[in-house]
Order: sequence, then C-alpha cells, then structure tokens
Amino acid sequence: MRFIRDDHLRAWLDRLAGEYDLVAPRDVDGHLLYRPVESSQNIVFDYERPELSAKDFLFPPSETLLRITRQADGVTMEEVLPQRQQVIFGLRPCDARGLLAIDALFIAREPVDTIYAYHRQRTTLVGLACPRMWEGCFCTSIGGAPDGTEGLDLLLTRHDDGYAVQVLSDKGAALAAQMALEERAGEPPPSERNAASVPLPPPADWPAWFNDPMWSRHGERCISCRACTYVCPTCRCFDVTDEVIHADTRGTLIERVRTWDACTSPNYRRIAGGHNPRAKKPDRIRNRFFCKFHYYPTDFGPTGCVGCGRCILVCPVNIDITEVLRDVAAHVEGRSSQ
Amino acid sequence: MSTNPLRPYLGRLVGKKDLATGIQMFQIELLEPEGQAAFADYRPGQFAFVSAFGAGEAPFGITSIPSRGPLLEFAINRVGHVTQALHSLEVGDPVGVRGPLGNWFPMDEIKGRNILILGGGIGGAPLRPVIHTILDNREDYGHMTILWAARSPDLLVFTDEYDTWRHAWATDFHVTVDQGDEHWTGNVGLITQLLEKLAPSPQNTVAITCGPPIMIHFVALTLQRLGFAPDQMLTTLEARMHCGIGKCGRCNLGEKFICVDGPVFWQHEIAGFLEGFL
Repeated sequence: MRFIRDDHLRAWLDRLAGEYDLVAPRDVDGHLLYRPVESSQNIVFDYERPELSAKDFLFPPSETLLRITRQADGVTMEEVLPQRQQVIFGLRPCDARGLLAIDALFIAREPVDTIYAYHRQRTTLVGLACPRMWEGCFCTSIGGAPDGTEGLDLLLTRHDDGYAVQVLSDKGAALAAQMALEERAGEPPPSERNAASVPLPPPADWPAWFNDPMWSRHGERCISCRACTYVCPTCRCFDVTDEVIHADTRGTLIERVRTWDACTSPNYRRIAGGHNPRAKKPDRIRNRFFCKFHYYPTDFGPTGCVGCGRCILVCPVNIDITEVLRDVAAHVEGRSSQ
Repeated sequence: MSTNPLRPYLGRLVGKKDLATGIQMFQIELLEPEGQAAFADYRPGQFAFVSAFGAGEAPFGITSIPSRGPLLEFAINRVGHVTQALHSLEVGDPVGVRGPLGNWFPMDEIKGRNILILGGGIGGAPLRPVIHTILDNREDYGHMTILWAARSPDLLVFTDEYDTWRHAWATDFHVTVDQGDEHWTGNVGLITQLLEKLAPSPQNTVAITCGPPIMIHFVALTLQRLGFAPDQMLTTLEARMHCGIGKCGRCNLGEKFICVDGPVFWQHEIAGFLEGFL
C-alpha cells in the first residue's frame, strides 16, 4: 500500500493551504463542520460525521450567479467565480456520493449548470474513510460504505502512524504527486459495518403507495423547519432572487443570488394565483421521500439519499428516513405475500 | 465553458399598456444578437423569464408569435414582488429575458382539426399565440370556437381583439364573466356553464385550455361529459419556477417537471401523473 506518515500529511496539507482553497473538518464553537482552513493546525483528524454535508462548497447556501450593473448607458452582467482551485480534505465517503447525485442532475442532464460544473471542475475531493459507522448511519444500505471510494479523487484510511492512500483519479494523482508517500506492506483492515441494515425498496415499488395513509403518519408531525433538506448532501432545490447591493446617482449594483430552497417549506409549490397543490404537510413529506427514492432515481439515475443519517439526527420531531423505508418495504412485502 | 443557462438576454421595454385591472401588456425588444437568435423561432405555449433588474425574475407565457414581428409580448398580472417591479418600469427601461423555455402546443399535429379554445383570466395569455397562429394560417385548421372568461369584466384580457376574433372566418367567440357589473350585458356564469350551454361537438376537435387550476380541472370534466377523449384535450400548467431548465425543483408534479416536460400537456398525460396539479 501507499502510505503517508502523520507529519508528512500535515506538511502536505500546510502546502495545500497556501496554494488552494482548502476545506477540511474543523471545530467551530463545538460543531464539527467542513470549513475553510488556513493550516493543518485548524484541522480535526479524529471526527465522526460533520454536522453539515460538503455540498456548501460546490453548491453554496447562497451564491452570486451574476453581478449586474445598471447605469444610464445600459446593463452589464458578469459572473463572479472564485479563481483558485479547491481541495476538500477529510470528506466522508457518503458526502462524495451526495455530490455524484447532484452531478447527475446539474451536469449530466442538459443544459449544464455551468456554475456548479465550474466548482466541480476546480475541486479535488480527498476522502477520509470512517473507521466505523456512526449513530444514524446507514450508508451500506444505500449502496455505499464507510470506506467507499465512489466519487473521490483520493481516499485516506487511518493506519498505524499515518494513512493508507488510494489514488482514484487523475486529479487525485496530481495531488498525490506532492505527497511524501512510501510503500508499506499490508493493507488497513476494512471499516466496521453495522450488522443491521435498512431496506431500500426499488424505485418502481413506490408509486403503489403514493396515496397510502402512512404519509399522514410520517408527515403530520412535520413542523416545516426544513432542517432535513439543509443537512442533506443530495437536496439541491434552489431559489433565485435579486439583491440590490448599492445604489447611487451613478447606477445600481445588483447581485442575482441563488439560495437553497426546500420542498418541505409550506409555499414551495404555491403558484402566482395563490393556489397551492401541496399545501398539506403529509403531501410535502411524501414529496421529499418520493423525490429521494422514486423521482430522482427514475429521472436521473442515482438514489437521492446516501444514508448519512443527518436528517434523522437533526429532525426536531423525529421523522426518520429509515422508518419510512421500513414502512414502504413492509407495505411492498405485505402485498407480495398476499 | 458553455453559456450559463441562468444568464438572461438583455432587452428593452418598448411598449406597455393596460390590458385589464392589474394586468399590463409588455413589449420587449431584445438587444443582443444571441438573444434575437434564441427567440427567432419560439412556439405558441413556450414561456420565458422576464427580469426586472434589482427585483428578480419570474416566468411568463409568451403571448406573441414571431411571425407577427420581433417584439416579445407578455401579459403580466401584478400579484407579487417581481410583477410589481415590472409594472413600475417605464418604456425605455432595461429588462432581461431568459428563454424560450418549455414545450409548445402541437400546432402542426392539430392541423385540419376544429379547435376549441378555453381561456380563463390571465390564462388567456399563452392561448393568444394559438389564436393568432390559427388566424394567420386559417386554411390549415377547421372551425375555431373561443370561450373566454374572467372573474369580472374588468379582468378580461385582450378586449381590443375580440371584434377581430368574432368576425374572423369560421370563428366563434363567446365571453362570460363570473360576476357582471352595471355595464355588463353579456353572459354571466362560469366558463363550464357556457361550455355546457354551447355543447361544442367533439367530432374532429381538439380543446385547448388555460386558466386557474380549478378551472382546468372542471373544464376537463365538462369536456369529458361532452364526449371529448383525453387525447382531444390540451392544457398548459404553471408553477412559480426559479430556473425553467429542470434543475431548481420548484415545479415538480411527481416525477415530471412542468418547465421541461411541459408546460403543455395532453389530458391523458395529466391523468397518468402520480401527483395532481390541483
């Protein structure tokens, strides 16, 4: 195996921090988050699952799509994109798979979302395998693994006095070329898996249960706080609005801003005349789960869930995605045994 | 890198007039060659986002047809933040236009058929291009019956065109309002009541409906009673979209997106949707 010692890894990260926009697990007032870091000293190496996914750095919660300048002689529009290359270090494998799900819609399906594609192209993903699965995790039930490599450019796995390094792409190879790698005998053991698994009913099994009363049971307690979509690595709905940044006699500076949106918010489907076809909470909860397990895989390929379990931990009323999956699976099972 | 699909083309407001209470007609000239090329051949039923810079953008059905001239026309109801800002614009002001987006009415496929058009309120806006296309290519289509409706007389759109429509060859025009006023002498009642009274024959006919969701729903039921089959009914749906290119999620009807799978749908497609629009 290729191997890097702790001290060499830190030196490599310190060099990256100078050349790239470096994002890594960081303690922010007691919250473990992917955040920009200035040196390896800011990085937490021993952590569980960051509280938020890494989508922030490719599909930011709020991002200027266009800077619009309006003056007497007309209007000009320009994109304001960061120039530096970006490295996300310490990415958990589930979060890399979350980006693959967003790619399937934003990049693989025409027209390409050029701004998201630009962020993807400028970013290298350096994964750090989870030694085991954490509270709420069910990645192995959704086709992933705590030490999965899908979507990553490099994967590091903790071993002895450093990390085993797997090079998974050309981008990864380019970064690894700057690492003080050594060859060592052996391989790190695979990460621990949870014994229990969650059923994943195939997309085609869902429509039969669209009008089932289970959606009232799961959805009535929803308080439409939208935390589930906020922490989700695959939720990608967005709103676009204008903000006036500055206005004076010479002209107006406007930013056209894309912000995260959530299908669980009450007015999501409200139309201009005021009609709202999804005014009821169970209908919105149903949409969220149908999107993840029926619409998204049917329309775009990947499942819209990577089993990170964040939405389970963050929900203030204990709506549990694994409970929904078990419920649908039990319905499917019940019908096929009839 | 390919072109950012969320960047609007620059345009200028060159005409603006009141159509009805709270509804104005906007005429827009596109200023950039790329925008002019993009809108060279847009189709009846397609939509576009119009930007009031500083307030935002919103999607509207295009109410003009390219064969009648290069200006883009939109009938815009003042109902929210963006439409309020658009109504405040003056002739000469800059605007942005993004499109054309979505599918369109199959005007070629329905050639030779009788056409029944049912427009309710601002829902008449995306139907005007259908009417104009038929009027300008009259021999390509059979009889045209137009049923036009609004909640009240002051909300009727395109009133200055009614005489032209009424007197066109092989064209009937009927209008009704939910509630009249002291000057109104015409039909009073819902468009479905007028439809039942007129009872147009489904024979070789295609019905095209746009209006509020509740109207689309009940018009479809009435048409069904009159013998119209689902493959004789077209409608166009709306949503408060944010992208128009199938990304933002806002307009999903089950696994469909109104913006890219529609906005024009046959009734049999709608009947097959997992999730309803009502």
